[in-house]
Amino acid sequence: MRKNREIKAIFAVMAVFFAGFLAVPMISVLVRSFTGNGEPASLAYYVEVLTGRGFLRALGNSFVVSICSALLATVLAFILAYTIHYTNVGKRYKWLISKAAILPMLLPTITYGFAIIYSFGKQGLLTKLFGRQLFNIYGFNGLLLGYVVYTLPVAFTLINNAMGYIDKRFMIVSRLMGDSPLQTFRMTIVIPLLGTLATSFIQTFFLCFTDFGIPASVGGRYEVVASVLYAEMLGSIPNFGNGAVVALIMIIPSVVSITVLHILEKYNVRYNKISPIELKKGVKRDAVFAVLSGAVLVFALSMFVVMFITPFIEEWPYRMNFTLEHVQAVFEDRQLYGVYVNSVMVALITAFAGTLIAYGGALVTARSTVSGKLKKVIDSIALVTNTIPGMVIGLAYLFVFTGTPLQNTFPIIIICNIVHYFSTPYLMMKNSLSKMNASWETTAMLMGDSWVKTIARVVTPNALSTLLEVFSYYFVNAMVTVSAVIFIAGARTMVITTKIQELQYFNEFNEIFVLSLLILFTNLIARAVFRRLARVSESRQSKAKVYKFSVKKKAA
Amino acid sequence: MLELKNVKKSYDGTPVLTDISLNIEDGEIVSILGPSGCGKTTLLNLILGIVDSDGGQIIYNGKDITDVPMEKRGFNIVFQDYALFPNLNVYQNITYGLRNNPEISSKEEVEDLIRLLGLEEHLNKRISQLSGGQKQRVALARTMVMKPKILLLDEPLSALDGVIKESIKDRIRTIAEQYNLTTIIVTHDPEEALTLSNRVMIINEGQIAQFGRPEEIIQRPENGFVKKFILNQLEIKKNNIFTLFAGQLAQQAQVG
Repeated sequence: MRKNREIKAIFAVMAVFFAGFLAVPMISVLVRSFTGNGEPASLAYYVEVLTGRGFLRALGNSFVVSICSALLATVLAFILAYTIHYTNVGKRYKWLISKAAILPMLLPTITYGFAIIYSFGKQGLLTKLFGRQLFNIYGFNGLLLGYVVYTLPVAFTLINNAMGYIDKRFMIVSRLMGDSPLQTFRMTIVIPLLGTLATSFIQTFFLCFTDFGIPASVGGRYEVVASVLYAEMLGSIPNFGNGAVVALIMIIPSVVSITVLHILEKYNVRYNKISPIELKKGVKRDAVFAVLSGAVLVFALSMFVVMFITPFIEEWPYRMNFTLEHVQAVFEDRQLYGVYVNSVMVALITAFAGTLIAYGGALVTARSTVSGKLKKVIDSIALVTNTIPGMVIGLAYLFVFTGTPLQNTFPIIIICNIVHYFSTPYLMMKNSLSKMNASWETTAMLMGDSWVKTIARVVTPNALSTLLEVFSYYFVNAMVTVSAVIFIAGARTMVITTKIQELQYFNEFNEIFVLSLLILFTNLIARAVFRRLARVSESRQSKAKVYKFSVKKKAA
Repeated sequence: MLELKNVKKSYDGTPVLTDISLNIEDGEIVSILGPSGCGKTTLLNLILGIVDSDGGQIIYNGKDITDVPMEKRGFNIVFQDYALFPNLNVYQNITYGLRNNPEISSKEEVEDLIRLLGLEEHLNKRISQLSGGQKQRVALARTMVMKPKILLLDEPLSALDGVIKESIKDRIRTIAEQYNLTTIIVTHDPEEALTLSNRVMIINEGQIAQFGRPEEIIQRPENGFVKKFILNQLEIKKNNIFTLFAGQLAQQAQVG
C-alpha cells in the first residue's frame, strides 16, 4: 500500500483547497441569504426578493430568452455539424466551418454586446450597409442574438464530436432494409444523437441563464436574473442579503439541468466501431447545406466585423479616415496596456495551477486504488463546480474574502478561475488517464521505479497532449471570463474583461474593441501554439508505438 | 448468376482493383480471400452497391446492374461488427425491414428463421446483452428476413472464438443450402475460406490471384503468392496439429 501514500497526500491538498475556496464560500452565501449584513437570521430577504415586482419578471425573462437561444443554437449547430459529417462539400469548406464555428468562444461575452450595438444599432455598420435598422437591439432581440452566437461554439463542439462517433454503416443497413430517406435520417442520425442534442440544449441554456456580459450591454429594460444580481450587489448600497438570495435562485436551474444531464448520459447510444463510408451522392443536399452553413456562419460572425473596422477609423461614423491613433493610444496608455499584461499573467498562472490541480484530481480517481469514497469526493467537487455559475462564485468570494489579505489580489482571481472552470479539465484528464493501460504503475514499480518516478517517466509523457489541451482550455477561459471576476477584481487588479465593463460607462468603444482584438489574437496564438505542441507530443507517442511494434515483429 | 466484367476502382488516383472479371453461380458459397489492403472489401462494396465502379460492368441474371442503386439491387450484407440498432431489442432488429415492406416475409418464415438460428430465447433482450455469436446470428436473421438475392458477409467469423466459429460456419452453410442462396464471404483467414466455401477467390494487389475450388487451390496453386500466403500458413497449422496428435496417430497406425 506504499503507492497510496502519495495519492492520499494529493487528495488531502485538493480537499483543503476546495473546502476553503468552494465549500466555505458557498456556505457563506447560504448564511448571508438569511442574515444579510449581519442581522439575526430570518426569511426577510427571501420575502423581499420574491415579492419585489421586478424579480419574478426578470426570472421569467431569463427563462424565455435562454430557452429560445438554446433551441436556436442547437438547431444551427446541428446544421453546421451535419454539413461536415453528412455532405460531400469540399474538405476546405468543412475545415472552414469547423474553425469559424468556434471563433466566438475566443472573445469575452461583454464584447458581444458592443459588437451588436455597433453593428445593428442606429449608427451601426450593418445598419448603414442595409440602409435601415434591422431590428431593435435592446432587450429580447439583442439578448437572443448575443446568446445564440455565444453558445453556438459549445453546441457545435458537442454535436460535431458526437456525430463523429456515429457509425455511418447504419445508414447502409437502414437503406438496405427499405427505409425512406426520412426514416434513415431519424433512425441513424436523430435517435443516436438524442442524448447529445438534449445535452447541447441544456448546456447552452445554462450558459445563457448565467451569463452577465451580454445583458450588461444590450439587456436594456429587459431585465434578467444576472443583471438583477449585479444591480443588487454593486448599486450605491450593496444589499448582501438580497444578492445571496438571487444567487441561490440562480443555482437552482443549473442544479436541475446538471442532474438531467447525468440521467441523459445513460441513454447515450455507444457504438463499438466507427466505420467511414462513402456518402451517397446528393448534389442538391450538398448545395442546400453548404448555403445554410454559410448563412449561419455569416450571421454569427458578421457582428464581429465592426470590431476590425471602427478602431481603425478616426471617428465612426462621421470622419471615416483610416488611422492607427486608437490602437496607439491603447498601447501608450500605461494603465490600459498594464491591464492587458495583467490578463495574460492571470491566464497563464490560472492555466498552470489549474492544470496541476486537474491532473492531481484525475490521478486520484483514474490511477489509484484508494477507496471509492475518496474518488467520489473528487467527482462530486467536479460536479458541483460545474453547477455553480461564475457570478455566484465571485459573489461568494466577495462575502468571504473581503477584509482578508486576499481581497483585491491576483491570487483570488486566479483561484476563482481555477474553481469555476475545474469540471471540464478534470473530466478531460480523467478520461485520458483511465484509457491508459492499467498495469503501468505495477510494471514500473516491479522494475524499481518509485510512484513519483512512474508518474514522471511513464504517465505524464503519455498524458502530455491532454495536459496541453487542459492548459489551453484554462488559458482561453481565464482570458474571456467576465461573470466570475466582476465582483472580485479591484482597481489594482483589473483584467481586460473588467476593464471593458468599466469602459462601457464612458462609451469608449474604440478602446473596448482594441482590447477585444488583443484578447482574440492572444487566444488565437495561444490555441495555435498549444495545438502544435500537442500534435508534436502525440506524434512522438505514436512513433514510440511504431517502434515497439516493429520490435515485436522482429521477435516473431 | 452474378458476373463482373473488367471492373476497376481507384481512390484518389491509387488503383485498388485493377481489372476484375468473374462469374458466381446461383446458390454458390464463394469466399474472397486476401491480406488486408488487397481490395477485397472494396470488391464487396462494389457488388453491394455502396461504391460505384470506375469502369467495367456488373451483371446479375443477364441484367446490367452497374448503375442500379444499392437499395434496388436486392442484395444484402451482414457487417463485421453486425451494425445492430442498439436502441431496439432483438426481435425489433430482426423484423426491422418488415416495417417498410410487410409482405417480404410471412410470420411463419420469420419464425422459421428464428428457430433455424436458435434465437427463440433471446427475442426480448437488448443488443448489449448478447454475446458475439448471438449478435452474429441476429444480424444474419435480420438480413435473411429481407430475402436477399445475394447474401454478402464481411469477415463473419473474425470476431468470434473457437467453438462458436464452427457453429456459425454450420449455420451459414445450412442457410445457403436451405434457401439456395448465393453467398459471398470476405475473409483474411485461409482456413475459414477453404473449409466454408464451394469456391475461393484469392485477391492480391487488386487482382485475382486464383479462383477455384478449395482442393484445386491446395493441389495446384497457380502462383508464388498463393503458395506463400495461403499454403504456407495452412502447412504450419497442419504440422502443429499433426505434432499434437502424433501419439494418437501412431497408435492408430499400429492398430491398423
